[in-house]
Amino acid sequence: MRKKNSLFSKFYIAICFAFFYLPILVTMVFSFNSSKSLSKFTGFSLRWYKALLENSEIMSAVYVSVTIAILATIASTVLGTMTAIGLSKSRKIIKDMVLSMNDIPILNPDIVTAIGWMLLFSSLGFQKGYMTMLLAHIAFCTPYVITSVYPKVRSLDPNLANAAMDLGATPYQALTKVIIPMIRPGIFAGALLAFTMSFDDFVISYFVSGNGVKNISIVVYNMTKRINPTINALSTIVIVVIVVILLLANLLPRLGGGDNKKNNQNMKKLVAGVAVFALVLSLVTCVANKSNNKEARVLKVYNAGEYIDPDLLTEFQDEYNCTVIYETFESNEMMYTKLQAGDAYDILIPSDYMIERLIREDYLQPIDWDCLTNAEGLNPDVMNKEYDPGNVYSVPYFWGNVGILYDKTVVDPADLSEGWNLLMDTKYAGNLYMYDSERDSFMIALKALGYSMNTHDKNEIQAAYEWLIQQRDTMKPVYAGDDVIDNMISGNKALAVVYSGDGAYIMSENEDLGFLMPEEGTNLWYDAMVMTRNCENTELAYEFMDFMLRDDVAYRNTQYVGYSSPVVAAYEQAQEEDYEGIEAYVPRVGYEKDEIFRYQDTDIKKLFAELWTKVKAQ
Amino acid sequence: MEKIIELKNLTKNFDDQQVLKGINLEIHQNEFLTLLGPSGCGKTTTLRIIAGFEEASSGEVLFDGMDISKIPAYKREINTVFQKYALFPHMNVFDNVAFGLNIKKMDKAVIKTKVERMLSMVGLANYGSKDVTLLSGGQQQRVAIARALVNEPKVLLLDEPLGALDARLRKEMQMELKKIQKEVGITFVFVTHDQEEALSMSDTVVVMNEGTIQQIGTPIDIYNEPENRFVAGFIGESNIIEGIMIKDFLVAFDDFEFICVDKGFPENEPVDVVIRPEDIDIVQPDKANLKGIVKSVTFKGVHYETIVTTKYRDYRIDTTDYFAVGLEVGLTFTPEDIHVMWQMGSY
Repeated sequence: MRKKNSLFSKFYIAICFAFFYLPILVTMVFSFNSSKSLSKFTGFSLRWYKALLENSEIMSAVYVSVTIAILATIASTVLGTMTAIGLSKSRKIIKDMVLSMNDIPILNPDIVTAIGWMLLFSSLGFQKGYMTMLLAHIAFCTPYVITSVYPKVRSLDPNLANAAMDLGATPYQALTKVIIPMIRPGIFAGALLAFTMSFDDFVISYFVSGNGVKNISIVVYNMTKRINPTINALSTIVIVVIVVILLLANLLPRLGGGDNKKNNQNMKKLVAGVAVFALVLSLVTCVANKSNNKEARVLKVYNAGEYIDPDLLTEFQDEYNCTVIYETFESNEMMYTKLQAGDAYDILIPSDYMIERLIREDYLQPIDWDCLTNAEGLNPDVMNKEYDPGNVYSVPYFWGNVGILYDKTVVDPADLSEGWNLLMDTKYAGNLYMYDSERDSFMIALKALGYSMNTHDKNEIQAAYEWLIQQRDTMKPVYAGDDVIDNMISGNKALAVVYSGDGAYIMSENEDLGFLMPEEGTNLWYDAMVMTRNCENTELAYEFMDFMLRDDVAYRNTQYVGYSSPVVAAYEQAQEEDYEGIEAYVPRVGYEKDEIFRYQDTDIKKLFAELWTKVKAQ
Repeated sequence: MEKIIELKNLTKNFDDQQVLKGINLEIHQNEFLTLLGPSGCGKTTTLRIIAGFEEASSGEVLFDGMDISKIPAYKREINTVFQKYALFPHMNVFDNVAFGLNIKKMDKAVIKTKVERMLSMVGLANYGSKDVTLLSGGQQQRVAIARALVNEPKVLLLDEPLGALDARLRKEMQMELKKIQKEVGITFVFVTHDQEEALSMSDTVVVMNEGTIQQIGTPIDIYNEPENRFVAGFIGESNIIEGIMIKDFLVAFDDFEFICVDKGFPENEPVDVVIRPEDIDIVQPDKANLKGIVKSVTFKGVHYETIVTTKYRDYRIDTTDYFAVGLEVGLTFTPEDIHVMWQMGSY
């Protein structure tokens, strides 16, 4: 009986540990993978560590994360500890009030806090960047410090401070020699909590930061589209550092033995050392930023994540002796929110329908095409589209369409003629990925039914909705995000709706796949560079756009990103060298059933959103 | 004896409540003075004002003739032994005792000698490296005393320091404290609610109630000559009887007139009469005016606590003789045993 129990409890513990540590282990193992895959281990290599060290974006993000975490920890620990001690001496009503108020930021969802901070900084006219991020971090860490220090203070004999002062200690000495040493465990726990909260914060940091200041979370989040083992390498290093710190924290006091005083002094030295180190680092940043500002040639570019070869940015800065502040967004809508909040950028790279909206709402200024010497190289097929007739405001950046990626070893070639209805073919039930996006999904349904994807006809929309419901119930598709890329490289399912650029990249990694552009027509899309109305340095902005249109630059960019280049020379070179025989790289042109997304009115948009929610609510 | 501390018209309000209502008190050099009273009487507040942890609402605190009301606690030549000792749990015994000297940045070697001498005085030699949280209550008490005395204060304040100890240890520490006070020769101001403790240790006892001083005197005065019903009741068990002072040396109560040794009251003044239980003798009923019936007998070790019911009231008598319950007895006392007091509120 007893033995059985202990066997069960051992098993239980093992399961728990596996549950906690398996993900970490997988991360660490794949950081040493010799190939780009996150699911197939092909051999041991340190290439991702090398890539990590060479990636200046990640390294500067590490630096930002570490210095912000240290400074925010120190500031919030001091603030929180003082508040906790002060509170213990306050009247009960004040104490209760402050403590309940202290709970609100902790319980408040991060997103609410984040938007609050963003709006506050915007309305105060603060320039977003390192300082705003630091301030927000100090603010959201402090309540955690108060919560962990206050109970310790409360459990103290109220006469301890009196006893110290009675023995001749000034109030300050009483604090440092008696009160603080006694609540040290609470302070330490609070500081540790503050550090972790700050170090891995994404939501708040994302909204309060700007001017190219990014911490690790922001960088990693923007990288997830093309996830690669560099992140694993970074995670592994972070895990190792944490383990070392925890080991030291547990072992040092024991090694120090009973000599409290010595320990205290060592501790003080350590804390002081870390503080000085962080201060110096952040000072260096400030000075460096200042000296950058002196150059006066600064360009602020706002682009989608993982949508440029970072080396090109470095080259541009060197060649044109300027600084590019480069920020990335997750979706067009997120970009629009930031613009609305008053964030200033010089160049944006949004999608067609969003450009249409920005033109309508007067966010942009017209392009002087004479300033773009490389404009001749642009492919006429991507010019003069409905979203911006005559390309008054926009310079094409990438383009593509949406199609179905299929596994040639599974899908019968005869079935391909079904077009979008291939996604309704029960032969492949449970064996497909849909794209988790309302507009793309409705596009598929509308096209399958032979309607325009920009329709405003409620009956057609209702029919499309029913198509999607039927598909959901008969086909059991997985509504996937960017994880479809890695899954299709591994050949996990037979069919997937993908953007052509992603399709090209996936096909270059998995030879068994083909790309179908359905006969019923599909979505043709264009992303383009636009100049904001308040662009400060138009000369530099033109230089940047012109640089991106240069044949060699455009080629390297399309090579890196995988989407089709609007620059003819680059487009052709890529077809010959990198994407030979990969049909996804070559979007269909001049096909009358293909359409471009138009700007949607709010009521139509709302209808789509509601119906899509119903589709997904099973 | 020279005055060292003088309190003048001290009052203290907490919110709307007045906890001290005009305290006037002189504390002398080398005196062992005890503030005695029930909880909430203001004795601890008085002590904290002397120490500097509270500020008086009005009135003066003079130390060696100088007003120290505005001087912070850490600059006063006064040290305190706290109710629950308030030892620093993150320091060992030595560091606790050395705390004040370290603050004064005294030479390490001097500190070491002083602390060791102090520890051996309180009987804790060789305890220096011990963790204070692992000591017994009595030992912690000694550390607290050593920690305060090592600073050589002119006055040592003790806030119910024996409250947490068991009865035997309490007795021991009372003796010890008295001994230490004689040895170091400084003023002790001791706060307690235990009348026995106050009487056995003090040179002067100050009885307080509801923020006022009821009586100041030697333990013997306080016991034998309580000034009012409160003091009489608080100091030991007493029979307190309402009576009339007919004239000097003659008081009437319970239908009889008794000769007494008190004088100076107006004729026919209503007074309170105190007779201590051990001063009453139980005799044959025919040998006394006051008669009654034994109601209960409780054995208390040295004596029997005997309650006798008379016509008007129950008398308590402590006697070494045993009288059975239900026995009719007489009660007698000598004129010296009768103590006449002003009724409360009439002065």
